Amino acid sequence: MGDNKLLALDNIDLSISEGDFVSIMGSSGSGKSTLMNIIGCLDVPSSGEYHFRDNNVSTLNSNKLAELRNKDIGFVFQNFNLLPRLNAQENVVLPLLYSGKNLKERNKLAIEALESVGLKDRVHHRPNQLSGGQQQRVSIARAIAGSPKLILADEPTGALDSKTGLEIMKILNDLNAKGITIVLVTHEDDIANYGSRIIKMKDGKILEDKKNVNN
Amino acid sequence: MSITDLIYLSQKSLRSNILRSILTSLGIIIGVSSVITMISIGTGARIEVEQQIERFGSNNLIVRSQSSSNRGVSMGANSVNTLTLKDMEALKEELPAIKAIAPNVALSTQIVANGNNWLATVTGTTNDYFDLGNWKFENGRSFEEEELSSGARVAIIGKTVQKNLFDTDSPIDEVIRINKVPFTVIGLLDEKGGTAWADLDDTVIVPLKTAKQRLVAKKFPGDQIRSMTINVRSSDLLFKTEKDVDTVMRKLHKISANGNPDFVIRNYAQFLNARQESSRVMSILLATVAGISLIVGGIGIMNIMLVTVTERTKEIGVCMSVGAKKRDILLQFLIESLMISLIGGLIGIALGLGVIFGVSEYFKWKMSLDYMSIVLSFVFSSSIGIIFGFYPARKAANLNPIDALRYE
Repeated sequence: MGDNKLLALDNIDLSISEGDFVSIMGSSGSGKSTLMNIIGCLDVPSSGEYHFRDNNVSTLNSNKLAELRNKDIGFVFQNFNLLPRLNAQENVVLPLLYSGKNLKERNKLAIEALESVGLKDRVHHRPNQLSGGQQQRVSIARAIAGSPKLILADEPTGALDSKTGLEIMKILNDLNAKGITIVLVTHEDDIANYGSRIIKMKDGKILEDKKNVNN
Repeated sequence: MSITDLIYLSQKSLRSNILRSILTSLGIIIGVSSVITMISIGTGARIEVEQQIERFGSNNLIVRSQSSSNRGVSMGANSVNTLTLKDMEALKEELPAIKAIAPNVALSTQIVANGNNWLATVTGTTNDYFDLGNWKFENGRSFEEEELSSGARVAIIGKTVQKNLFDTDSPIDEVIRINKVPFTVIGLLDEKGGTAWADLDDTVIVPLKTAKQRLVAKKFPGDQIRSMTINVRSSDLLFKTEKDVDTVMRKLHKISANGNPDFVIRNYAQFLNARQESSRVMSILLATVAGISLIVGGIGIMNIMLVTVTERTKEIGVCMSVGAKKRDILLQFLIESLMISLIGGLIGIALGLGVIFGVSEYFKWKMSLDYMSIVLSFVFSSSIGIIFGFYPARKAANLNPIDALRYE
């Protein structure tokens, strides 16, 4: 490192079309997390451009980025990242709070989202009262509550046993079938196989980008 | 994000750590209760002083005889009446700052009327006495010039005397016997209420001349008087006039500047000032305590908010990832610190009220609750919350979402 500049991403040219299910694979340090952050509008590239729908994200300020994440993007994390003090419903309501929806509407949307991931009877449970699989489903409900165009899933099955992991992948698959674009980061081949397109990365570069014939 | 949502989220996180929240607000609690107590003591003292002025009149000096013991012979308090009406006239003439002087003689004696008996202080004086002492008439009138100059046997009585001699009946035009001398009652004074040392309403007032001729001829022979109340034109002149009266009196009584005087000048303002001074010292003390504890309390809030921001870094990242703007995060943490300080403020107000009632009950110290002080406490505590909560909140709002999400 020292004074040498480290490029997390180098010369990436990538476009993802709406409705796609893209798996990004790579070992740690391959740049897949940075790519994911840029796609998710958490970060902007130091050079080059990123367009999300009609927006040139590279030029947006932090407020606009927050708005974009709020309206069009949902995140699913490896460690669920639910707020421990809030129950399932309140966690799902969180993005709706920031979008300024009124109380009635956001509670309705939250319940619907929880129902759609099969947690209708767990709405008042706090994260520590839920199993890992249930927590991940709450976080998926949170991601979809604002009806986003894109869901970014960062190792969504990483903290789960394989059976629960498959349940989660099925939910993501169903969401994709409804037209939501999904970008999945994983290092497991069988998880990556859910995608219709698999991108392999190494040292900040795209090593391989192909249609998934197994799917 | 609406304010109610922010408050909802803030109270959630405060309640998850309720002991910490209360301990954090301790400084504010002490500060606010000190502020309330301080203001109450100040207001109480002011009201007490105002009441005293109401009772005794303002800008008054009282000159009394005093036995001078420097010659080695004490002649007993009653036998030395060194003040005379001549002194009074001379003072009036020499000192233009004097507005009026009410001379008086007095004795304590048996009053008989209506078959009842009552021991009261009888004062012989002039009409100035009523103005200077802030006396108001409930009924009847003051003396007429003719009554004063001829030594008419008329009397004005206080409320206590009326109660004991006439019960609730009007005493006007009734005859009372003072030292067996019959007097006609021409006036009834308004009630003033008692002080710690005397019942001011236990009084009978007659014309100076009448008293000197018929009641205290032996005690105050010639133009001797017991004391005089000097009313000064304005309060600014009070202390200067006190000195001037001393100078003039020494000249009249031929007493050198450093000799022992045979009179004493009492400045009622001195007493009031002392009272005000002591409550002022108390207030300064409390203000210091309040100031220090509010600042320490504010730093405590800042400290705990910085800890909270660090603890919740990941959470902040999550909120940002689902669309929280910088402003949302800033407001949420600001409201949290505001709530801590307001809770502290509320507890402090309750504590302050407790102290006020406790102290005024136990020490009989006059304290008055000023509603402004409650408003002031709210302003104080909320501004502390916002000022000291701002830095941590800004720190939270300026977190980079990626770093925050990655924080473990």
